[in-house]
Amino acid sequence: MEIEFTLNDERTTFDAGADELLVTALRREGYTGVQCGCDGGVCGASKVLVDGEARMACGMDAADAGGTEIETIEALGSQDDLHPIQQAFVDHFAVQCGFCIPGMIMQAKELLAANPDPSEREVREAIDDNVCRCTGYQKPVEAILDAAERMDGDDGASGQRSVATDGGNPTDGHERGDFDE
Amino acid sequence: MSENDPKPDGGTASQSSSVEREALDDHPLEWDEPENNRKADDERQSVSRPAEKDDDRKLVTGEAKYTADYEEQFPDLAHAAVVRSEIPHGRVTAIDTDAAESMDGVHAVLTPWSDGCPDAKYTSAGQSYPEPSPWDMNVLNEHVRYVGDPIAAVAAEDDETATAAVETIGVEYEEYEYVLDPEEAFSEDAPQLFADEDVENEIVGHDYDRNRMSNIEGELGDVAAAYDREDTHVHETEWSTIRQSHAQVEKHTSLAYTDEDDRHVLITSTQVPNHTRRQLAHLFDVPVRDVRVTKPRVGGGFGGKQAMVVEPIALALSLAADRPVIYEASRAEEFQAMRSRHPMRVRARSAVTDDGDIEALELYALSNTGAYGSHGMTVAGNVGSKPMPLYSKVPNVRFEADIVHTNTPQTGAMRGYGAPQGTIALEGHLDEVARDLDLDPIEFRRDHYMEVGDLDEIAGMMGGEGAERRIRSCGLDDCIERGKEAIGYDEIEQPEAEHRHRGIGMALSAQGTGVAGDELGGAQIMMNEDGSFHLQVGGVDIGTGADTAFIQIAAEVLGCDERDIVIKTSDTDNTPFDYGAYASSTTYISGMAVKKAAEDAKERILDWGSRLLDEPVEDLDTADGEVYSEATGESVSLEDVGYESVYGDEDREHILGKGSHSTDESPPPFAAQFADVTVDAETGEFEVNKLVVAVDCGVAINPGMAEGQVEGANHMSYELAVNEGITFDDEGRAEVADFDEYDFPTAAESPPIESILVETHEPTGPFGAKSVAEVPTNTVPPALSNAVREAVGVRIDEMPITAAKIRSRLDE
Ligand code: FES
Ligand code: FES
Repeated sequence: MEIEFTLNDERTTFDAGADELLVTALRREGYTGVQCGCDGGVCGASKVLVDGEARMACGMDAADAGGTEIETIEALGSQDDLHPIQQAFVDHFAVQCGFCIPGMIMQAKELLAANPDPSEREVREAIDDNVCRCTGYQKPVEAILDAAERMDGDDGASGQRSVATDGGNPTDGHERGDFDE
Repeated sequence: MSENDPKPDGGTASQSSSVEREALDDHPLEWDEPENNRKADDERQSVSRPAEKDDDRKLVTGEAKYTADYEEQFPDLAHAAVVRSEIPHGRVTAIDTDAAESMDGVHAVLTPWSDGCPDAKYTSAGQSYPEPSPWDMNVLNEHVRYVGDPIAAVAAEDDETATAAVETIGVEYEEYEYVLDPEEAFSEDAPQLFADEDVENEIVGHDYDRNRMSNIEGELGDVAAAYDREDTHVHETEWSTIRQSHAQVEKHTSLAYTDEDDRHVLITSTQVPNHTRRQLAHLFDVPVRDVRVTKPRVGGGFGGKQAMVVEPIALALSLAADRPVIYEASRAEEFQAMRSRHPMRVRARSAVTDDGDIEALELYALSNTGAYGSHGMTVAGNVGSKPMPLYSKVPNVRFEADIVHTNTPQTGAMRGYGAPQGTIALEGHLDEVARDLDLDPIEFRRDHYMEVGDLDEIAGMMGGEGAERRIRSCGLDDCIERGKEAIGYDEIEQPEAEHRHRGIGMALSAQGTGVAGDELGGAQIMMNEDGSFHLQVGGVDIGTGADTAFIQIAAEVLGCDERDIVIKTSDTDNTPFDYGAYASSTTYISGMAVKKAAEDAKERILDWGSRLLDEPVEDLDTADGEVYSEATGESVSLEDVGYESVYGDEDREHILGKGSHSTDESPPPFAAQFADVTVDAETGEFEVNKLVVAVDCGVAINPGMAEGQVEGANHMSYELAVNEGITFDDEGRAEVADFDEYDFPTAAESPPIESILVETHEPTGPFGAKSVAEVPTNTVPPALSNAVREAVGVRIDEMPITAAKIRSRLDE
């Protein structure tokens, strides 16, 4: 079935199976920043923003994406031009294996849009269903608090997005919109 | 390994009752340390700087590739699913695969009787060769020994089809008696899991009539005599620990195919590519050279991936189906059929004088290894050989362990590797003894713990040659002092409410760094014509930042920018041999190989510098991307050296450096843990206000990454203290199928953790480094138990520590 929606700011059409989960469809189309860590709906690794709300892409049928606006980690910064939340994770050594991190960052993005100046408790509660086995949450929490300060109320969109200059690794998620051919 | 051929491993014990004390000069205090290894802090350019983690930008943008992300490169990829035993013990008598085989989209079905199923015995433990674990299992098993044992496997065009096919497969069993409890299993009337002929590579001390996979023991001095002395009191305590799950967020995942040269390729989430290659060659009866194991980004290991669990199934199916196959375990399979920490009961006993002199110290562990023996003996060995050396001043020491089989899922390696179980017993015990004798628990420990210059014979107590070690760096005093300050040890205030009590507990820990005499790391480095480098290392980064540490070490030697080094690790076709990421060895062993490779390359670079600058080599060094002369101040860039070396005169050469490293040393890192707790004496409810852990890791190659390792380990240790772990129904079926049921502490439920790096200089490690990531896994259970004891006077010796247990002890 054809599903039309906005993915990372581009109108997109997916051809998805009837019971296909959003996570499966996204990964099939190359959005592999969306990870799968559990048997469904409890680890947070597959979080994406659906109309601005952080949701687990494994807990949602692809069909239900129709008409929504979806944002994945690929919509944020590129390797050469990180979004402030991404930059804060890097600067705070908040990333170890990284498997949980895209989901964690998308959750942080939702939090900071609604609450630009969260307390430590509010950050911990926001990421309460993002399982990370590596960091003990200490550094991710610090990173999100710092990102809040860096963004200081703006949404962190860095305007111009650049393409990586490291020779053949274009990291701008926007280039991948057209997979309905 | 035969009984006469003990592994020379601090924790991999042989059966010797006492040890021959080696001549002390085998372990001199003065270490012949190369001059460049001991740089003052302000001389270092890369090492001990918080360099950005090499893969971070890829990880935070979602560009990094884990095993499952390779799917899109294989259009005809098939997906695997596995039929697992529904009974705890029995023999499979028939398997009906007809319906599965005739399903659309099913490409292959394997049973233990299929031609395509390897029938050799093996161990899933990814250890050195010969493995100190028994070969006691098959890839698919006819004799099943736990609910979850793999019986048959399917490859189909997608996950759904594979899973549906599995559901149509009928299995008939002859059922046997089973036993879940380790104490019951360890008796002659218990149902027997193995007969001698079921096992190859039997391990020292096995006694299958009693389900014993191994027994190990070692003694220094005469413990019994110390108990008999009139001036000593004998204290005894007993402790038990949970079956903890690694619960790596990335599940065990493996993608197998056979390439155009008929070579078998595994893209797999593993900590041990080289061991996996060797084990696959054994199972599939092909030469090692025909197997390639390559590791992309790994989403967490913690020891769970120091096991070959999913790889053989993926490869067997791919051969049978004649197409690439991916096998990603489900989360339910992770809890039921992958690996977990060995649950144990550990008894601690000591003989102490009234003045608080410890005359004898003894630990005995009964370890439940589950249905198979992987890592069983070596983990149990570490219960003694890692924590007990802390108290090197105690004259009489004994350790023994029995490792028994039960019809429960299989255990394996897990961060800390036996040391957490030993540490709770030892540190809980000493705390209790100090309280009995009315001594300050910290000062009591201080009187007995190791210091620089001590020869640690306890690590070698169980016969590991080379496991004895001289302590050349030890920051225990500083760890304690800085930890005390950070937790506010001397300023503790009691809550206003009368029934609420606050207490601080502490515990110490020691680990090792690599396996003494039983490891190898290899590295090579090539210089490019633009002055940049390609560094190839067998060492394995499973998310710890090892790749970055390797780059920093190489950059420090070469005097170049970290960004001028491109790193490739853990691909058996393209990187040198390495034992893998375990035993806290990566920075120490593989890192030293990197250092040697970089030094080898640097020698050639200086030669070329000498030629280009026309100055003697002795006057030259590298820094900031240049070769410069200290005598004249003249310099030439690495870029010019790179260019001239390959395009220059007739002596042109490709500048290559190589290094490999193995050692008999295994210096311990140390940790002091503090836990601050408030307990409600009416309900038993408690709150952990704060955890502080101070770690002596030698020189931290990258302090930011090292702190992250410490915090993550300490969080895992906290879980070991307060979580139930994997629990089972009365047939040994895991009651935990997903993260929400495992119920580990979430971000909102976790106490703040403060990590403190106490830097010392370990002369045997690269630029003074030793290990960091295991020792903080050992310490929260005892520190928290001690804190509860301090707060409300009751002792919780059975993990997890829960409000209900505190309450019931308070009521006693
Ligand atoms: S995979 Fe979606 S929440 Fe775990
Ligand atoms: S960084 Fe590994 S799971 Fe979070």
